[in-house]
Amino acid sequence: MTLFDRVFSGNDAVFGLTEGAIDGAIAQYGEDKAVKFPETAYSIPCYYAVTGTKVNNLKELKEALGVVKTLMTRENRLNDAFMSGVATALCAEFIEVLKYIDGAAPYAEPCYGHLSDAIIRELGVPLVTGDIPGVAVILGSAPTAEEGVALVKSYQAQGILVTLVGGIIDQCAQLGYKTGANVRVIPLGKDVTAVIHVVSVAIRAALIFGNVTPGDAGSLMKYTMERVPAFVNAFGPLDDVIVACGAGAIALGFPVITNETENIFRVPKSLIVQEDVSKFNATSLEARDIKIKITNIDIPVAFASAFEGEIIRRGDMQVEFDGSRVDCCELVQSKEMSEIEDHRIELIGPDIDEFEVGSKHSIAYVVEVAGKSMQPDFEPVFERKFHSYINCIEGVMHTGQRDMIRVRISKDAFAAGFRAKHIGEVLYAQVKNEFEAVVDKCQVKIYTNPEDCTKVRHETAIPAFDKRDERLSTMTDESVPVYYSCIMCQAFSPSHVCVVTPERLGLCGAVSWLDAKATNELDPNGPCQVITKEKIIDERIGEYEDVNEAVRKFSQGALDDVSLYSIMEKPMTSCGCFECICGIEPFSNGVCIANREYAGLTPLGMTFPELASMTGGGVQTPGFMGHGKHFIASKKFMKAEGGIERIVWMPKDLKDQVAERVNETAKDLYGIDNFCDMIADETVTTDPEELVAWLTEKGHPALTMDPMM
Amino acid sequence: MPFNCKPQKFSASIKAVDLGTGDKKVTLGGESVFPFYSFDGSEGNGAKVGVEISDMGLDHEPEAVKAYYAGCETMADIAKKAEAMEGADFVCLRLEGGDPNGADKSIEELVAVAKEVADAITAPLVVEGCKNVEKDGQLLPKVAEALQGKNVLLLSAKEEDYKAIGAAAGLAYDQKVGAESAVDINLAKQLNVVITQLGVKPESVVMNVGTAAVGYGYDYVISTMDRIKAAALSQDDKMLQMPIITPIASETWAVKESMATEEDAPEWGNLDARGVSMEVQTAAASLVSGSDAVILKHPQSVATIAKMIKELI
Amino acid sequence: MALTGIQIFKMTPKKNCKECGSPTCMAFSMKVAQGAVDISACPYMSEDALAQLSEATAPPMKTIKVGAGESEYSLGGETVLYRHEKTFVSKTRYASSVCTCMDDAAVDARLASVSNVDYERIGERMYTEMINVAYKAGDAAEKYVELVKKAAATGRCLILSCKDVEVAKAALEVCKDSKPVLNGADASNYEAMSAAATAAGVVLGVCGADINELYDTTAALEKLGNKNLILDVTADTIKATFANAVMVRRAALKDTDRTFGYPSIVNVAKLAKDDKAMQEALAATFTMKYGSIVIVEEMDYAMALPLYGLRQNLFTDPQKPMKVAPGIYPLNGADENSICLTTVDFALTYFLVSGELERSGVPVNLVISDAGGLSVLTAWAAGKLSSTSVSNFFLENVEDKIKSRKLIIPGKVAVLKGDIEAKLPGWEVIVAPLEAVQLVKFLKDMQANGQL
Repeated sequence: MTLFDRVFSGNDAVFGLTEGAIDGAIAQYGEDKAVKFPETAYSIPCYYAVTGTKVNNLKELKEALGVVKTLMTRENRLNDAFMSGVATALCAEFIEVLKYIDGAAPYAEPCYGHLSDAIIRELGVPLVTGDIPGVAVILGSAPTAEEGVALVKSYQAQGILVTLVGGIIDQCAQLGYKTGANVRVIPLGKDVTAVIHVVSVAIRAALIFGNVTPGDAGSLMKYTMERVPAFVNAFGPLDDVIVACGAGAIALGFPVITNETENIFRVPKSLIVQEDVSKFNATSLEARDIKIKITNIDIPVAFASAFEGEIIRRGDMQVEFDGSRVDCCELVQSKEMSEIEDHRIELIGPDIDEFEVGSKHSIAYVVEVAGKSMQPDFEPVFERKFHSYINCIEGVMHTGQRDMIRVRISKDAFAAGFRAKHIGEVLYAQVKNEFEAVVDKCQVKIYTNPEDCTKVRHETAIPAFDKRDERLSTMTDESVPVYYSCIMCQAFSPSHVCVVTPERLGLCGAVSWLDAKATNELDPNGPCQVITKEKIIDERIGEYEDVNEAVRKFSQGALDDVSLYSIMEKPMTSCGCFECICGIEPFSNGVCIANREYAGLTPLGMTFPELASMTGGGVQTPGFMGHGKHFIASKKFMKAEGGIERIVWMPKDLKDQVAERVNETAKDLYGIDNFCDMIADETVTTDPEELVAWLTEKGHPALTMDPMM
Repeated sequence: MPFNCKPQKFSASIKAVDLGTGDKKVTLGGESVFPFYSFDGSEGNGAKVGVEISDMGLDHEPEAVKAYYAGCETMADIAKKAEAMEGADFVCLRLEGGDPNGADKSIEELVAVAKEVADAITAPLVVEGCKNVEKDGQLLPKVAEALQGKNVLLLSAKEEDYKAIGAAAGLAYDQKVGAESAVDINLAKQLNVVITQLGVKPESVVMNVGTAAVGYGYDYVISTMDRIKAAALSQDDKMLQMPIITPIASETWAVKESMATEEDAPEWGNLDARGVSMEVQTAAASLVSGSDAVILKHPQSVATIAKMIKELI
Repeated sequence: MALTGIQIFKMTPKKNCKECGSPTCMAFSMKVAQGAVDISACPYMSEDALAQLSEATAPPMKTIKVGAGESEYSLGGETVLYRHEKTFVSKTRYASSVCTCMDDAAVDARLASVSNVDYERIGERMYTEMINVAYKAGDAAEKYVELVKKAAATGRCLILSCKDVEVAKAALEVCKDSKPVLNGADASNYEAMSAAATAAGVVLGVCGADINELYDTTAALEKLGNKNLILDVTADTIKATFANAVMVRRAALKDTDRTFGYPSIVNVAKLAKDDKAMQEALAATFTMKYGSIVIVEEMDYAMALPLYGLRQNLFTDPQKPMKVAPGIYPLNGADENSICLTTVDFALTYFLVSGELERSGVPVNLVISDAGGLSVLTAWAAGKLSSTSVSNFFLENVEDKIKSRKLIIPGKVAVLKGDIEAKLPGWEVIVAPLEAVQLVKFLKDMQANGQL
């Protein structure tokens, strides 16, 4: 028997039953007898939503059954199975509605049967907000009552709404487990057809919360698929009727997880066999992409930003991990989903209570994450937050990063019960919460044996850091598919838009291309948006049609076009937070750069604040441009005008900061050694004539280059 | 050469959002010009004025406000008197007693007050929470549920609680959602985007883009509203075309100029006059910047601003 | 199309002679491009270059000076319609009114009131800068002259609102040295009025029955060679006045119609006579929408406090936040034994925090140190608010004045706690909540727990 056969046979069986039931009802009451569910404005909700037709009496119900019959096509294509599943569900709804004839109350404690619109509106809000992260439909009897109740309890603890159909209801009653809408465990009914009452919830949610028009079955299924995080746990043995109902669930986007192994067919992400009932929860959540919010971090001390600046002095310290003396490191690694068991915190090595008071030790903690949208590029973004996370723990101090960390734990925190695994709890909770958009699963390994730490540091962490640095330094504008906009400072500078590229970070110096990318992924509506770079206008100055369009949009029309690599033609605008300003120095045919910290005059005859007042505010000022310090050594720095060879002057402090990288770039681009020695500074002169004389003496290349103007 | 007047015509317009039901229903927005630029085109439905009342009754109100409501004993009395105020288009009930750091009234108690007020008046109702996002996230959905059919505006859904309030007010109970952001065009837009992504119709959203009393960082308010209206009209930015509602009274009556007693600041003169001045001028400035509705509380302020709007459209 | 600094630079002699006052030709060119310096400041520009540049760099709206000495004010000179585009340069000036139609007692009282409002707000003096002296047609010229004399005695800059040329001339005789505005030209009298204003060397105010007549009269005056003008945009109705004010400014700046490139006068006293609340609403409205001078009947504190606050906000540089002076601000009767709380000197933060502190009723010394006028997190990120900046300020300015050794720091820079404690021995550093609104409860709790 194929899966198709089972679905079709189950569907036929239910259809036959329904037909019989309707005919019987007509015989008993006459065809004008009204049929309706109590307390709903949506007639027979599932049928109404799928067809757009309201059913009022038995005659119309009989006609509706005819419509249902048309769904029951018997080709062996997936769609036939799905539609037969839907038909089965609708039949179930008809059977259920017959139970309510004459205002009968067919369900008694603890079962609910049909749920009113009011309950749906009430449940719908937390569903939309994610406060109810999912809806579990548990069907049939668990292998034992204990296992069944444990499953219900596990969902309940996660805030998931649980609905029960069939034997599981008695299993809960048997163990005295409390059920009811107020505890979000709702027994629907013992007949399998009662499952329609939860389907009805999903369907009415689509009508109420999704503005889906009744009859628009496509939008309806799209809504339930995308917005109603329901799934089915069906306990074996499964008869054909249940299999047919399951096909209906899958059609709505709800995966079915079962422990049935006989005569079942696995469909990835839709029909999943999980023999171990204790893993139903994890399997279901993964299949339906449900993420559980962590509301409190399970540690014995407080966690708040107020503790971020706390300093733990030597005398107050229980134990210290010191990366400057022994091998320590902190690391984020992305893994495959199957490699990670969510919320597993593993301590490998002795715990804090095994250390002497005031002693120094090694520690290495590795946070392993997995997620469908996770990218290795986010690893350093998470990692940079560890400092703040760990510092927010009361009685724990953290400094440094990567393999140069130091962590101190206070005596008070230790006395309160703080142990190594709690660091893991904090990292787990914070990473999961803050990076929810990309992290589906997370586990933490904490090593405290010196040998393990040495191994992790040298064999895993350092190679990972090196690889990242390598990627950063070799990434070019050409090597990436898109750029990012950044409008974080529009509050101060309304029309300014930064276009962030790998070789040109934001002019504040704080937003690299990777940061912008991560910001975008984590907050898709936030300040950093993707800018495509497909329609090049002028390669020399780095002008793109798509970049111009983006700039126009994000500046609300204030700017029409920008170039990425020119200071003279359509230069990028500046907000007010630039680290440096570069301005044309006409007499030497070069540019001077001043940094924010520099207080004196430049050979341009202007100070940094004067330059800033002319350059800022999101206005294009040809010849002048704000930028980050890091950009000075970029090969794209005013590439259109000849690049860094044009730099004739910068303050000594700044020069010292960037010299190494600038020299390297000059060597690469022009074959000039020690280029910085040719760049003047305030100790040489701030007078334009003297500058030219000095540059001539040094043989500065700018003097003989094409005129900039 | 005669003067060549070049009107600024926009094909875009601010969305029209209805509040309330029946004869006294009001429509916010609808304009396709900058505020009061009637010489350029349609001003839509004209700006509206709301009267603020509080679940905390009258004890903490300025003397002149107390005097206006003299004889009112219940919230229903106060609400009726508020809607009868000269120039009032709608009533705004602030449930400030819900603040967990203040009176910390229960949600049931506050919902009952909202119901009492809503049942007492025929003018449209705006219900403002207590500003505590956690409490508002629970309170306002309950208010939305209790006032089904009244077409009320719930203030406010913020970044932190927009899901609960947006889903309840905008989806479950068919009310209007107030989207509150902190004086920044991009934050305002982002909030509108996420609220509409929930499924709330853009026509069900009114923005509170943040405000201040004049003199208190009001420069940001001006520029935020100037820029929002410009983006909405000239750039046809659909996510900024929601009308703007600005609660004025709650800001202006809390600054020194409106609170310092005559003993404390003898040279400043009459306290009531100062309060009215602060309220009237802040309201006028907000309307000129782009508010489609302002919420005031002093009868003189309400009358003056309503009259000014009438004169300008 | 405005010229860029580079385009201007190309036309300079490139001598770096410094005679213009700028150290280099480049610096000079950038200033000219910004409109900060006039091109004529360079003595070596060629005739050609000068002609070309004067036209291109001429501001779309003239800067007109009125008044003399300490009461001299620049009006106009704006380049943008919205403050976020670029800073508004010439703030709105306010005038109180007197009129020949008022009796002596009323006039004396009104003039006496002019000096009542005079205070400082964040480094700016706030007072009634001008007096509008109105002449009611048919009254005796002597009466007007006497009134003008009285008004002039206050030392305020005057606006002579008078459409009778002879009366105006008589009035000018007694006050022309103080450079009043002669606000009296219209379509019927502009030639004579212009002659009178020019003879006296004062700015002429122009009005028209509608915007077209205003335009034509202004154009005619320009043709006569008088470009020392102010446009009185006040019409019969509020609506028409608003339309005039906006259309005039918009034509000048957006459509570069230079005929309307002058400052404006709005007389809200006339638009809302005897309705003080409406005058306030309109004064705020026309401060926002392009009144260079706004005339009210009488300025009192109630009107001034919000109005001057609004003006101060409106005319700030959007990129340079307002700052309050560093120092110790005792609140709620704080003395040397009261706890200290510190935050940054960004005016908005100061107002928010001081407002909440005042609401708490708890005596607190609010200590403001120089943080570059930035908000807490921005200042911290920029290194302007650091453990060193705070501790230095306390060591130098606070320790000798305050005995309390408890300091509350902003919740957003909790990270500074340890460092500040290390650098300020003897002080207990307490971290405040993240938001200012939580301060009231925080302080009250501290008070209740005896922590103060």
